[in-house]
Amino acid sequence: MSGSVAAAMPTDAQALGEALRRCAGGDRAALRVIYDREAAAMIGIAMRILRRRDLAEEAVHDAFVRIWQKASSFDAERGEARSWLYAVLRHRALNILRGEKRTDQVEDFDALGLESEVESPEACVARLSDAKALRACLERLEPARRNAIVLAYVQGLTHGELAGRLGVPLGTIKSWIRRSLASLKECMA
Amino acid sequence: MRREDHDRLAAEHVLGLLDGEEAVQAERLIESDRAFAAQVEGWRARFAELDETARPESPSVALWDKIATSTADAPVRLPSRAATPARESWFARLWNDLGFWRGAGLASAAAALLLTVGLGYFMQAAARKPVMVAVMLTDANEPAGIVNILADGRAELLPLRGIEVPAGRVLEIWTLWDRARGPVSLGTLASARTVPLRLDHLPRTSPDQLFEITLEPAGGSPTGRPTGPILMKGTASTAL
Repeated sequence: MSGSVAAAMPTDAQALGEALRRCAGGDRAALRVIYDREAAAMIGIAMRILRRRDLAEEAVHDAFVRIWQKASSFDAERGEARSWLYAVLRHRALNILRGEKRTDQVEDFDALGLESEVESPEACVARLSDAKALRACLERLEPARRNAIVLAYVQGLTHGELAGRLGVPLGTIKSWIRRSLASLKECMA
Repeated sequence: MRREDHDRLAAEHVLGLLDGEEAVQAERLIESDRAFAAQVEGWRARFAELDETARPESPSVALWDKIATSTADAPVRLPSRAATPARESWFARLWNDLGFWRGAGLASAAAALLLTVGLGYFMQAAARKPVMVAVMLTDANEPAGIVNILADGRAELLPLRGIEVPAGRVLEIWTLWDRARGPVSLGTLASARTVPLRLDHLPRTSPDQLFEITLEPAGGSPTGRPTGPILMKGTASTAL
């Protein structure tokens, strides 16, 4: 399965990996190459976590500065360029969400009713490819447990927030997550 | 820690569910343990397809310009600690990196004064244990401030007493790890208060690395070296 995924987009992964190598050598045009390819997707990913356009742009800005500074630490042997880029972005977006959450502004967006615009975890899973393991393996999980995993990854919810959202005790959420992860790993092996 | 526990830690790190000690532990393991880093990569790969379900949104026209500005003077960080770029580029890098954590929205002329914002982000770090501590003493040998260096490379300054800062002057924080290079500014402060310090683009803090605070003209030392009186100083020691 993973073999066919890798084979499906070798040019993309290679182009990004090459751009990162050039960034590590100080070539700023290469950073623009990455931006042109990935910025729109990255805004979309950050929006699901931060739900505010200005914060999403801040996260993408910070991620690109980090990518530029840390490009030399990307190792193509160890992982895909795109997954590295997105990991940098998600890390930054989660830090903004957790550490720099401005309560007043969060209330503002609730008041504006923006919450409803966030795609449900079910809709998110439905957008995964039928042909790939992740969807099949997520669908093997009980719906509430599947939602817990997807909400954590996609929207950056904490254990406590998941417990509140799904209406179960914190301890239950923690054990759901652990068991679901073990089951996903086995299923995707 | 057993292998399965490591795998659970790697997976929850990728999901973004770790906090406190475990979050620090995962970050440290990624740097130090190749097997753990590979487990993290494995989990990133498993979940990567979820990122592709996000709906792309065109960035604002201004975003690239901001990124270009923020990266204009930032030389790419060299992987080797032994490599010592010119002093100017060290300053440029530091300034840029501190700017990075403030985020684009806060960029302004005033933001050129380092260490003034972003506190909220670092409040979380309070839960993290310092790996090194520098207690800074006055010239009367009284403790006046502490620098905590955290496991993930962040650091914070905790003043232990108020300091009278005359109008038109600021406090400037310095660190010295190499006499040949001289002290490097970590930023300025209008008053003594707890602030995060960014050290992670400097060489790793070593035992006996000096930290000090001097009184400087508003805007910071005009020479890039301490010019005013030393209000407190101390050297880093490893925390047990």
